[in-house]
Amino acid sequence: MAASTREGRPRRTHIPSKLMRESLLDKGVMASTETDEELDILPDVNVLALGGQSILDRGKAALFPLVDEFVHCRKKHKLIIGVGGGARVRHTYHICLDLGIPLGGMAMVAGAVDEQNTRLLQSLLAKHKGITLNKDHFLDLPLWLEAGMIPIMTGMPPYHYWEPPTDGRVPTHGEDLGMFMVSEVLGARSMIFLKDEDGLYTADPKKDPKAKLIPSVEAGELLEMNLPDLIIERTVIETMVQARHTHRIQIINGLKPKLLRRALDGEHVGTVITAGSAAQTTRRKTATERNGRATRSGRSLANA
Amino acid sequence: MRSNGSKLKSSPRKAIDLGAPALGDSTLTVQGLLDESRYEESIRVLPDVNVVKIGGQSIMDRGRAAVFPLVEEIAALAKQHDILIGAGGGTRARHAYSLALDLDLPTGVLAAIGVSTSRQNARILQMLLAKHGGIYLNPEDFEKLPLYFRVGCIPIMVGMPPYEYWEKPTDRGRIPANRTDSGVYLTAEFLGARSCIFVKDEDGLYTEDPKKNPRAKFIPRIAARELLDMDLNDLVVERVVLENMLKAAHARELQVINGLVPGNLTRALAGEHVGTVIYAE
Repeated sequence: MAASTREGRPRRTHIPSKLMRESLLDKGVMASTETDEELDILPDVNVLALGGQSILDRGKAALFPLVDEFVHCRKKHKLIIGVGGGARVRHTYHICLDLGIPLGGMAMVAGAVDEQNTRLLQSLLAKHKGITLNKDHFLDLPLWLEAGMIPIMTGMPPYHYWEPPTDGRVPTHGEDLGMFMVSEVLGARSMIFLKDEDGLYTADPKKDPKAKLIPSVEAGELLEMNLPDLIIERTVIETMVQARHTHRIQIINGLKPKLLRRALDGEHVGTVITAGSAAQTTRRKTATERNGRATRSGRSLANA
Repeated sequence: MRSNGSKLKSSPRKAIDLGAPALGDSTLTVQGLLDESRYEESIRVLPDVNVVKIGGQSIMDRGRAAVFPLVEEIAALAKQHDILIGAGGGTRARHAYSLALDLDLPTGVLAAIGVSTSRQNARILQMLLAKHGGIYLNPEDFEKLPLYFRVGCIPIMVGMPPYEYWEKPTDRGRIPANRTDSGVYLTAEFLGARSCIFVKDEDGLYTEDPKKNPRAKFIPRIAARELLDMDLNDLVVERVVLENMLKAAHARELQVINGLVPGNLTRALAGEHVGTVIYAE
């Protein structure tokens, strides 16, 4: 039996560990948990995010060629496909806002649209081993990938009622962020977003003919540009700065399906966003802190 | 080949006419997309509910001496108040985190395994409170809360939010930023709860550790913004709770109380100020 220690009045029973008795909110303790060798869980899998409004809502004309491309690419690469919502999510948000549904409630109900789109795509890919991946079966991924399956999942992350509040009134953790996190936590080989434009523009090219394509950009730079319209959720860019694995994402035009095989082969065929120097700065700062506990002395007493 | 990009541009996206231009033809990331004045404030889903967090290391790990009096107090209070309990993790979560950290695993895995310890504590509390109407609430059954309150139950749930593998990495280390404080706080925010009370093992927040410095001053009341600006090395609640509070629609205040002092929870639920109150501006 593992040794336990008791202390305090009434006494607490501890299990000895590096974090025993430590406040997990102490900055020094937090920094001490950094590692340079965080494990890649599934390093040979490629995560694809399929736009809802940009691709799926266009129906057969956009989707059928892409489905063929998925099948082609699966011969060489392991794929996980995440599916977005689209027009019906926007409609859901509008109705919810009108009814005064709180943010978490909106996040909870919006995922149903992703579910519908997941079923649609799975029906098309079923004969090519497309299979719906419920998030409860996330741990089955190795089995399915080894069996040559193409797991298809809802893009929305499972934040549900617990969606954190923001300055705005709609959830900020949508399908783009959900799939980015799949890539990040798995240490995936690549993260590719399939949209209906050639990449990221300085403005929405559908509305502004003077919008310019940005072929490559660092996440920090992009955030500083504070563009009025992004083709990808801002939360992805913000999270990327902190990422340990997914330091490069590519946004490609899913209406030109053959770009996918090239992107999977590592070619630059859309907009490449890299974590860049911002991420490195973060890591350096963390490494410095790790060498000594932070010096500010204020301290709370409660142990959560 | 079957298609090319330029032809496809003419294959329209199937849109839904929303009668709301702001949402009809935009990506949802457009700044200023929502003319917020167009919409009323969000509703309070369960405005009578009091959300109470029972600390893991601070309460549960102390065993019978700390937990039994609190259980009796909650049972008595539930006759007058709707109480939803969120369970913390504690030393076993720390042990599990230590192992995961040693194995070089990412934040998402830590968040996923952290849930289990919190679930153990929720189930333990349920067994202790069963005879008083304590019922274990699966996050999947969250919508059944009105029924449980209607029949006088005391729902008890996991404190951790359901983010698991989708927990975002932070700028400092690999411990998940959203743990049981965050999950319980966001529960109160979503529900538009009457109160949000964190039951821990100290009177609240001090300027320094009073066990080490007898001149440390107790902070009875402080704004979340001010507390964040103080940039303390350590905090009484998870930092992300303070950040979320700044933007919250409903849960604009929480109180941290000492659950080792009998009667504190009763007084806090009666609206008394018995610990540290943290509030949004």
